[in-house]
Amino acid sequence: MFEEASEVLENMLKWSFPLSLVLFLVLVCPLRAEAAHEFSVYRMQQYDLQGQTYGSRNAILNTEARTVEAEVLSRRCVMMRLADFSYEKYQKALRQSAGAVVIILPQNMSTMPQDIVQQFMELEPELLATETIVPVYFALEDEELLSIYTQTQISSSSQGSSSAAEVLLHTATANGFQMVTSGAQSKAVSDWAITSLEGRLTGAGGEDLPTIVLVAHYDSFGVAPWLSYGADSNGSGVAILLELARLFSRLYSYKRTHAGYNLLFFLSGGGKFNYQGTKRWLEDNLDHTDSSLLQDNVAFVLCLDTLGNGDNLHLHVSKPPKEGSPQHALLKELEMVAAHQHPDLKFSMVHKKINLADDTLAWEHERGIRRLPAFTLSHLESHRSPARHSIMDMRSVSSSLEGAGEATAGPHVDLTKLSRNTKVIAEALTRVIYNLTEKGVSGDLEIFTEQMQVQEDQLASLVDWLTAQPRAAQLVDKDSSIVNTLEYHLNRYLKDVKRHLVRADKRDPEFVFYDQLKQTMNAYRVKPAIFDLLLAVCIASYLGVLYLAVQNFGFLYGFLRRVTAPRVKQH
Amino acid sequence: MTLFHFGNCFSLAYFPYFITYKCSGLSEYNAFWRCVQAGATYLFVQLCKMLFLATFFPTWEGGAGVYDFVGEFMKATVDMADLLGLHLVMSRNAGKGEYKIMVAAMGWATAELIMSRCIPLWVGARGIEFDWKYIQMSFDSNISLVHYIAMAAVVWMFTRYDLPKSFRLPVTILLGLCVYKGFLMELFVHVFLLGSWTALLVKAVLTGAISLCSLFLFVTLVHSN
Repeated sequence: MFEEASEVLENMLKWSFPLSLVLFLVLVCPLRAEAAHEFSVYRMQQYDLQGQTYGSRNAILNTEARTVEAEVLSRRCVMMRLADFSYEKYQKALRQSAGAVVIILPQNMSTMPQDIVQQFMELEPELLATETIVPVYFALEDEELLSIYTQTQISSSSQGSSSAAEVLLHTATANGFQMVTSGAQSKAVSDWAITSLEGRLTGAGGEDLPTIVLVAHYDSFGVAPWLSYGADSNGSGVAILLELARLFSRLYSYKRTHAGYNLLFFLSGGGKFNYQGTKRWLEDNLDHTDSSLLQDNVAFVLCLDTLGNGDNLHLHVSKPPKEGSPQHALLKELEMVAAHQHPDLKFSMVHKKINLADDTLAWEHERGIRRLPAFTLSHLESHRSPARHSIMDMRSVSSSLEGAGEATAGPHVDLTKLSRNTKVIAEALTRVIYNLTEKGVSGDLEIFTEQMQVQEDQLASLVDWLTAQPRAAQLVDKDSSIVNTLEYHLNRYLKDVKRHLVRADKRDPEFVFYDQLKQTMNAYRVKPAIFDLLLAVCIASYLGVLYLAVQNFGFLYGFLRRVTAPRVKQH
Repeated sequence: MTLFHFGNCFSLAYFPYFITYKCSGLSEYNAFWRCVQAGATYLFVQLCKMLFLATFFPTWEGGAGVYDFVGEFMKATVDMADLLGLHLVMSRNAGKGEYKIMVAAMGWATAELIMSRCIPLWVGARGIEFDWKYIQMSFDSNISLVHYIAMAAVVWMFTRYDLPKSFRLPVTILLGLCVYKGFLMELFVHVFLLGSWTALLVKAVLTGAISLCSLFLFVTLVHSN
C-alpha cells in the first residue's frame, strides 16, 4: 500500500507545494485555546516609596490551582475566598513557596458580615508590608469562578485521605484547573506624572490680603489599585472641597459679600503615597517662584481628609494654635458652630506631634508644617485607621432615612453626614473670613440656607462619579478623565486653574510605580498525565478488539449466509 | 490537552480506517487511487450541496430553542445527493459488488474524516483545555465508517436490476433511514434531551441496526443467485 501511496503523493506534491506550505504555516501557528473560564484579576499593589519596596513583585503565573486545604502548595496557585481568608492561611501559602495566591471577593460587599470586613481591612497593610515575590491577585466572584473553586476544594481536600486505589482513581479522573495570566512580567513605569490642580478666588481690597488654603487629595489607596474606589477616603474630601468652591465663588461674585481673604483650593495627587503632590507644590511655590500667594500672608492651610461619615470631627494639629492667630479663630468657630447648630456632632482637637522617625507622614498638614500653619480635619481619630487605605471603602451610600437594616459593612459615605460636615466647615470658614464673632453675630445664625444651602444632590453626584472608577495614583495619569473633569469643575467656579505635575527624581526617586496591575486570567480544565496514559491503554485495547473483529468478519458473514441459505433451500 | 491527547484522539479516529483498509483485502486490488477518486467525488458533492443550501434555503430566524423541524427536514433531504455521489463512484468502478462497495465507502468516509475532523482535532485536542468532545468526535468517525459502508451497500442493492420484488421495500426504507439518520439523531437529542455520551450510544445502536439489516439483505441477495 505504501508504494502506491507514495506514487500518488509524488504526483500530487509536484503541483501542490504552495498549498502544503500554506497548510504548514496554518498548522504551526500558535495555539489559542478556549478556556473553561476567563475573568479579570487585579494585582496587589507594587510600589517603591522612598527606596522601600512594598507589595507583590511578580505578575505572571501559569500554575495549577489548589485551595489551602491541600497538602502540597508549592508552585501552585492557591485560591482563597474572602469568607475563609485569614492571615495564617496566607502565611502558610507563602511559606510553602506557592506559585501564586488568588483571593476571591464577593461581587457585592454588603453581603459580607461586619467582622470579616473589619478583619480584612486590618490585614491589608500587613499584606502590603511584607514584600513578596509571589503574585497576589484579587478576583470578583461569579458563578463559574465559584464552581471552579468548589471543584478545586473537593479535589484538594481529598488528597490526604482514603486508600491508594481510591487516590489512583481520583487522580485519574479528577478535573484540575490550570490558571494562566496573559500579561508580561511587571516592570517599573518610567516617568509617571502625578497631577495636582489648583484654583483661586481672589479677595476684595487690593494687595497683601491673607490667604486661606484648602487642600484635599483626590487619589485612593487599597491593597489592589484597581479595586480602590476610596469613597470616604478621600472622595468625601474632594466632594466637600468642590462644594465649598461653589459656595464661596457665589459669595465672592457679589460685591457686598466679597471678603478680604484670598482662597486657594488645591486638589493634590499622590496623597496616599506620602503626599507627593502637596510636597512638590509647596516646594515649588515657596522655594522656587518669586511671588506666590503662599509666600506672603497665609492665614492657615486646612486639609480635608475623610469626612463622609461618623458623628465626630477631629482637627488634627501638630502644635496647638496660639491665641489670636487665625488658626485659633478657626478652631473656636468650629467649636461654636458644632455646639450651637449641630449638637449631635462632637468636635475636638487632636494634638499629635510629628514623629520624625516615621517612614511616612501621618496627615497632609504635616507636609507644610515647616513654613505654614496647617491642620487636617477628619472624622477619623487616628491616621492609622484602616479605613484610610482599604478596598472596602466603596460607594454604597445608605442615607439614614433608608432604615436601620441597610448598614453596609465597610467604610462608606453617608450623604446626610457629608452634607452636615460640609455645612459646618462652610459656616466656620465664613465666620472667620467675615469676622462674624467679633462683630457679635450669634453662633446660631446659619448662613448657608435657602439659596446658599449645601446642595446634597450635588454632593451625591460628585461622590457617585468619584467612586465609579478606581482612583489609585498609579492609574490616574495626566490625561485621565478624572483629572480633566476635576479641572473642568474647578474652572466653573475658580480662576487661574493650573495643573501641577510631579515626576519622580531620576537618580533618587521618591516613588516608583509598577505596571501590569490588571490582567485577564484563564482557567483551563486539565486532566492529570496519568489520565492520558489510561486513555491510551483503553484506546489500544479498543483497537485490538476492533482488529480482531474485522479479521473475523468472515464468521459473521458465514453465519448470516447459513441463516439465509435454508430459506432458499426451502423454496 | 497536549500532543499526547491529540495522539490519542487521532489514533482512535484513524486506526479503524487503516485496519479496515488492510483487512478487507483492498490493498491487494491496488485500490488506493480509486479511494482517492471517491474522496474527490465526496468533496465535489459536498460543494454542490453547500451551494444549493445556501442559495435556496433561507436562514432560520425564529427564537433560539425552537427546533425548526420542517426546515431541518428539508435540509436533510438535500443529503440525497450523497446517494447520487456514491452511486456515481460505484458505477465507475468495475468489479465485484463487494469491491465496489468497499472502495466507495472507504474513500467517502476517509474524505469526510479528513475534512471534518482533522482540523477540530488539531486545534482543539492540542490545547491546554480538556474536553470530552474530542474523544466523542473520534468515536463518531468510527460510527461514520460503518454507516457509509452500510449506505454504499444499500445504494448498490437499490440499483441492481436483479433485485427481487420483496426486497424493494426494505431497501427503500433502509435508504431513507440512512439519509435521514442525522435528522433523526438531532430530533432525539432535542426531544429527549440526551447527554452527549447517550446520544453517541444511540447513534451507534442505530447505525449498528441499519448495517446489520443491510448486511442481511446483501447476503441474501448475493447468495440467492
